[in-house]
Amino acid sequence: MSLISLKDIYKIYNVGGEEVRALDGVNVTIKENEYLAIMGPSGSGKSTLMNMIGCLDTPTTGLYEFEGEMVNDMDDNQLASIRNRKIGFVFQTFNLLPKATAQHNVEIPLIYGNVRRDQRKSMAAAALESVGLGDRMHHKPNELSGGQRQRVAIARALVNNPSIILADEPTGNLDSKSGREIMEIFDALHEAGNTIILVTHEDYIAAHASRTIRLFDGKIKEDFSKVA
Amino acid sequence: MFSLFIENFRISISAVLANKMRSLLTALGVVIGILAVTLMGTLISGLDKSFEKSMEFLGKDVIYIRKYEWFGDKEWWEMRNRPNIKIKHADVIRERSQYAEYVAPISEWYTSVKRADDDINGVRITGTTDTYAMISTAEIEKGRFFSKTENRSGSHVAIIGKDIADNLFENENALGETFQIGNYTFRVIGELEKQGKFLGMFSLDKQIIIPIGTHRRLFTRRGWSGINVKVDGTQLDNATEELTALMRQLRHVRPTEDDNFALNRQDPFKEQYSMIKLAIGGTGFFITVLSLVVGGIGIANIMFVTVKERTREIGTRKALGATPKMILMQFLMESITICLFGGLFGLALAWGGSLIINQYFPSEMPINLALTALGLSMLVGVISGLAPSYKAAKLDPIDALRYE
Repeated sequence: MSLISLKDIYKIYNVGGEEVRALDGVNVTIKENEYLAIMGPSGSGKSTLMNMIGCLDTPTTGLYEFEGEMVNDMDDNQLASIRNRKIGFVFQTFNLLPKATAQHNVEIPLIYGNVRRDQRKSMAAAALESVGLGDRMHHKPNELSGGQRQRVAIARALVNNPSIILADEPTGNLDSKSGREIMEIFDALHEAGNTIILVTHEDYIAAHASRTIRLFDGKIKEDFSKVA
Repeated sequence: MFSLFIENFRISISAVLANKMRSLLTALGVVIGILAVTLMGTLISGLDKSFEKSMEFLGKDVIYIRKYEWFGDKEWWEMRNRPNIKIKHADVIRERSQYAEYVAPISEWYTSVKRADDDINGVRITGTTDTYAMISTAEIEKGRFFSKTENRSGSHVAIIGKDIADNLFENENALGETFQIGNYTFRVIGELEKQGKFLGMFSLDKQIIIPIGTHRRLFTRRGWSGINVKVDGTQLDNATEELTALMRQLRHVRPTEDDNFALNRQDPFKEQYSMIKLAIGGTGFFITVLSLVVGGIGIANIMFVTVKERTREIGTRKALGATPKMILMQFLMESITICLFGGLFGLALAWGGSLIINQYFPSEMPINLALTALGLSMLVGVISGLAPSYKAAKLDPIDALRYE
């Protein structure tokens, strides 16, 4: 059974009376434990597609099914809930809360998920352990390196045991060494059975994935799977 | 939901502490508002207390027959030309009035008293009869009032107020001791309980009561006189009418002429006082409302700034699963927290202020008012935080995440 199914997805904006088709009839199916890279030049619609998959946005027309749930018809609360439970976000700029410790940052999705405090603490600690930051739990973001910050963000994405991890240019703000480390973590997460979707315009990042989708002008130009 | 509440509170506290100066300046309107309302409350409570006590001294069932009106629109120089109140009319009133229960003539004179090296200037020397004890609300603390016989015989006996006892007879039993009023020697037979100040103006304890015969012989030619009449409290208006008629008759006032005397009662004090209270309350209320409104606008403004500054944080939180309502609550909580801090700060200042006020006249900060004030400051937080929080809640997560 497919985890994510996008059928005939259109996202149309009206910019100054002109119709802009950010997504122009996209069809994608993503299965469990896939390792997918979404690529494309800027303006190709890859951000829009990522937002769509991440349930931050809903299509103008088309059907989006996430684990059998229809995302099209969801209101803001339902979208928030599905993001909270099923999607782990990793951003290019980490987006950590500057005043909170690593542990507290990782706890945030659990707070919105209404998880009890003691359980929250141990889940956050476990997630930080799993990205190798067990000894940095009580550090604040400004006391951590860029790579470490992104690892906190990955821990935050993982902590809720999401169905997919959605990473938007996760190495874009990192030096190559830290970037490699981050990619190793993603590879390991994939090995462990997670579904990972990377948005990137770097071929060597996309090379980690087993499947690559290239977008151009809102359409899928290429959908290529490596033979394992 | 509880953990979310704690989280929101945590965020609010850290946001307020991270911008201490900004928070304080923002909350200044609330601080001033709360300060105004509580200080006003304290002041009024103190005034109430002092007023009640002063009115107790006057007694609500006593009519004071005097040359001068206590209140009214008559010019003082018109009243000055009135004949003095004659002491002997007290006897006539006692005989002829149906409503008068007790009648006591009063003569007053201010002079100095002394004993050995101690002396006090400007002591009120009241000459009256033994009936005064039945009219006055001040209790004799030690000793006794003078008797009818002592009154008639013009004895040099005195009942002294607390100030006199404290100053002339420090740590001593004054009863039976002698002292000087002017050049005359008097013996202390009684001590009055402490009465405090009359409307905060002059001390009721700096007083000596002596028999009226003695008083007239020694001082009255220069002082003023009056008659205090205690009546049945339920018949006050009837009694006033009767006494007016009686006094007009005694003083030969023609039907076409105005009264040339005054029947004073405590009720005009009450009217005056409620007007003063209304004025203080009104002013305080006005200042409070004004500063809370201005403060509220300031808080709304700073909350809009905060929401703007933290747009990316809002986007991140939404991506991580915060619903619009959760975001709304977060910023509402922050706004309430700022106001609450402001309110507490204002209360702390007011508490200090009330201690100072208390130095001058006894008062206390009303607890209910303090709690109401805190509630009020939270309400300001809710109202002024509503629009910015709503804006935050409605932000599109994609735009918010992209915001630089």
